[in-house]
Formats: sequence, structure tokens, C-alpha cells
Amino acid sequence: MLKKISRKNAIHVMLFYTGGCNGCDIEVANVAWSPRYDLEQYKVILTWNPREADVLAVTGPVLRRTIEPLKKLYEAIPEPKIVAAVGSCGVRCGIFKDFGGELGDSDEVLCRVDEVIPVDAYIPGCPARPEDIIAGIAAGIPLLLER
Amino acid sequence: MGENARKDKAEVEVPVGLLHPAMLEPYRARFFVEDEVIVDCELTLDPYHKGIERIMEGMPVHKGLIITERICGICSHIHLWNGTRAVERGLKIKVPERADYIRVIMAELERLHSHLIYLAHATEVLGHETMCMRAFTLREDIMDLLYIISGNRVHYAVPILGGVRPRCDIDEYRLSELETRLAKLKIKIGDYANRVVNDSMIMSRIKGSGVLTKEEAIKYAAPGPTGRASGWGVDLRKKMKEYKNFDFNVIVLDDGDNKDRVVARALESIEAIKIIEQALESLPEGPISNRSFELKEMKFSTSYIEAPRGEIYDSLALDETGRIRNYQNRTPTLTALAAMEVACIGDQLTDGMLTMASCDPCLACTNRAIVVENGKERIFTEEDVKSLIRRGL
Repeated sequence: MLKKISRKNAIHVMLFYTGGCNGCDIEVANVAWSPRYDLEQYKVILTWNPREADVLAVTGPVLRRTIEPLKKLYEAIPEPKIVAAVGSCGVRCGIFKDFGGELGDSDEVLCRVDEVIPVDAYIPGCPARPEDIIAGIAAGIPLLLER
Repeated sequence: MGENARKDKAEVEVPVGLLHPAMLEPYRARFFVEDEVIVDCELTLDPYHKGIERIMEGMPVHKGLIITERICGICSHIHLWNGTRAVERGLKIKVPERADYIRVIMAELERLHSHLIYLAHATEVLGHETMCMRAFTLREDIMDLLYIISGNRVHYAVPILGGVRPRCDIDEYRLSELETRLAKLKIKIGDYANRVVNDSMIMSRIKGSGVLTKEEAIKYAAPGPTGRASGWGVDLRKKMKEYKNFDFNVIVLDDGDNKDRVVARALESIEAIKIIEQALESLPEGPISNRSFELKEMKFSTSYIEAPRGEIYDSLALDETGRIRNYQNRTPTLTALAAMEVACIGDQLTDGMLTMASCDPCLACTNRAIVVENGKERIFTEEDVKSLIRRGL
């Protein structure tokens, strides 16, 4: 009970760029920081330290060079944790997979986020709108409290 | 410089990255430090290579150009415009004047929002969070304007071959909204720029650190506001025919330190508003797109454009069915960040990250070229580019 209340009062979102275009990344930072959407007033805080994170927001398709850091980062976050895949690229690799010309897909773009780590919230959009990001993270919070 | 030379020279190596709060995007900076003074710096920009050029090879041109927009989520319009422009130059497609005006309006709005992100990032890195929040607040108003015109907050997809998309036409409602909101924004951004430039607390923190001289700026080809803050007055907008009707100043500053790079962006935002106002005032009537062109074989065609962060270079060829061949793209951060590698030498370690942030790095666009040698891939980093520059290529 006490744990739940205290956890609810300090939800830390960690943002990890696996290789998107920067659009979603800025939208997530914008949602958490900026005065218009201001998630900090509901005690949702953007952090860069995996040890204190509760929510991992992943933007972008998983690239060959970011798959290992992503796994490490996921393991570094203590339980309970939820993962949100933000943007079309996070959900379905977006425009970078299954879209190639004559040479086919790029070798660098490996797979979706949920093929590497379990994902709890999918937030589509290119880029994901701030309202959707808030809704996605808010939908994940009950999961976080139950675990 | 070899690895051993660095070890001899420096006492301590301070690695920063891949993830670090001050840079928001993954890249790795190694600072070689002696008594808290940086003696050398090395950057590694690997993780973001997606192979967009490869995906685009052999794609129909209308479809392929959309991917150029996904190179960067901050300056997305300018990438698409430049790709479209390269094809239009190659195939000699005439663009209606109204379409050019709408493209310029989008580009300048984008410049505003990019510069405000920069100011937010720079003030946040130097520790002034109030200014960061104020910049983000102002930026939201600009995002609303971009949303009104295009229907999306990023990735507007405004230019199309021969004009702009019909949904992005500026009708009466949009015109009146843009004018009224821009008038309010002009005062707010003026106040903000004034406050940044005259704030003694910010200025004392960033004055004199990270000096990039004019010679170094030219040597490393540091483009855009980064070069202009070092006294290298190159602005491609003055040479582009799309901008010939507009009257604006090129901001050139002389000191080349972090202060000048911040001030240059703050002053440039005011110039950008000037251009948008002029464009809205004299928005010509007429069609917004020219559909009478044929896709045919096109030889290698190039285009340079002035993005918010510097120069973007696009080049591509088309085959006889209108498919993209040999698309290439160079983004401004590649050279701007390389220049920062020398700019931070001789500073305190605490100023190092600030210097890195002060050139407005955008890593999503930067990893472009990959070279395959004997079956082994090698990514072109700044080291390689710099060695090419040194060799005079």
C-alpha cells in the first residue's frame, strides 16, 4: 500500500533513442518537460539514469548498433518496470522496414522493439502526438502499480 | 593523431556517452584532460546509421523523396524541400511562385522552432532551466502554426514535385490565423531574444569558451550559424532564387565562442520572423503546383540549401522510369560537430559539453556514409571526413 502510494508519486520516465529520426524523442522530452503539456506536475519525471527509472520509452526501430545497449538498459532498470514503444518506428519499424527499393531492406535496421524486450504500451503516430504519449504512459501506470 | 600520442599527452580520459544527460542523443565524446583542461577530444558517431540511401535506391521518386523527410525529425521540411529541389533542377520543372512562398514560410517557421530547441537545449546544458522552459513555451506556439498549415507537428510533407501539396495551401483562415499569431509571437520572441542576449548570468557563463576561429571554421567547413558566429558570412539563402524577394540580414558575429553561437541563433529567429511576415504580406495568387512535367532520365543533379543548422547537400539521379539512383545526402552536423572537436580544446572540462551542444548537433541525420571494403563495413566518421578535408578532397 505504502509502496504503491510512494511509487505513484514519483514515476521516472527514461527515454532511449534506438534510432528514430528525433521527432518522437523531442516530443517525449517536450511532453515531460515543457510547460504546455507538463507531466512533471503529475510527478512524472524525465530521467537519464536507468537505476531510478520506472518507464522506459523507446523511440525508433532497433538498429544493429543499438540492440545490445537496449538489452543492457532494460536489464539495468529495476523491477517493476513498463516499456512504452513510441512512434510508428517503435511500434512497427515505420518507414525503415519492409519498404525498400531494389536492394530491399537496410541491413542496419534489425527489428521491432517488442521482438527484443517485452512492450506494454504502444503509442503510434509519426511522430506520436503529445496527447497520445500522455495517454500511453498514463495507461501503463496501473500496470506498474500492480506489478 | 595516433592513440599513443594522445595517451602521452593527456593525464586522464573522460568518456562522455553514449547516453548522457547533456547531449540527449547517443554519441560518444572522449575528452583527454589535464588539470581539468581539455587537451584533446575525439568523437565517435556510430549508433544511428540506418542506411536510408540504400533503402531509397531504385524507389519511385515520389515515394523515395518522402523518406528524405524521415532523415531528421527537427528539420524535416528542409530535407524534403532539398530533395525535391534537386529533382526539379535536374528535370527543369517550373515551380509556381505561390508554392515557393509557401515552402519558404514553412522553412522559416521550421528555422524558428529549430533555433528555439537549440536555445532551450543550450540554456538547459548551461544550467538555466527557466530560459529553457520559456523557449519550450514559445516553441509550442510555432508548432501550432506548423500544425495549422500542414496538419502534423513534425514531418509536414509540404513540397511535392512541381509545387506543394493541396492540403498545405494557405487559405484565408490560415492566413489570418498566421498573421495574428505571428504578431503576438514576434513580441514574445523579441523579448526572449533580448533577455538571452542581455542576461549577464548566461553571458558570463558562456563568454570566451569554445572559441572557433574563422580559419578553423573555414577549414572544417562549419556551416550555417556555427560558421557565421565565427565571422564566416556564408548564407545560402542570399544565393537562392526562392529568397530573392525577401529582405533580411545575415547575422555575422566575430568572436566565435559559445556566446556568439547562442546570440547568432537568437538574432536569426528575429530575421526569420521578418521573412515570414514579408511572405505573408506579398503572398502571390495563382496555382500552387505544376503538374505538367514528365519523369524522364535525369543525370546527376545536386542541390544545396540553408537548413536551420547549416548546409544540406542532396544529390541524386533518375533512370528512365523515374526511379532514384545514387541518392546522397550530407547534413550540417557532420562538419559542425567536427569543428567543435577543435573548439573545445583549451577549455575547462565543464565547458566541453556546452561547446558540443553549442553547435546544435542533430545526430539522427548525421551518420550517412558507409564504405564497404573487402566485405567489411566502415562508417565514415568525422575523422575520415577531416582527413579527406586535410588531403584537400
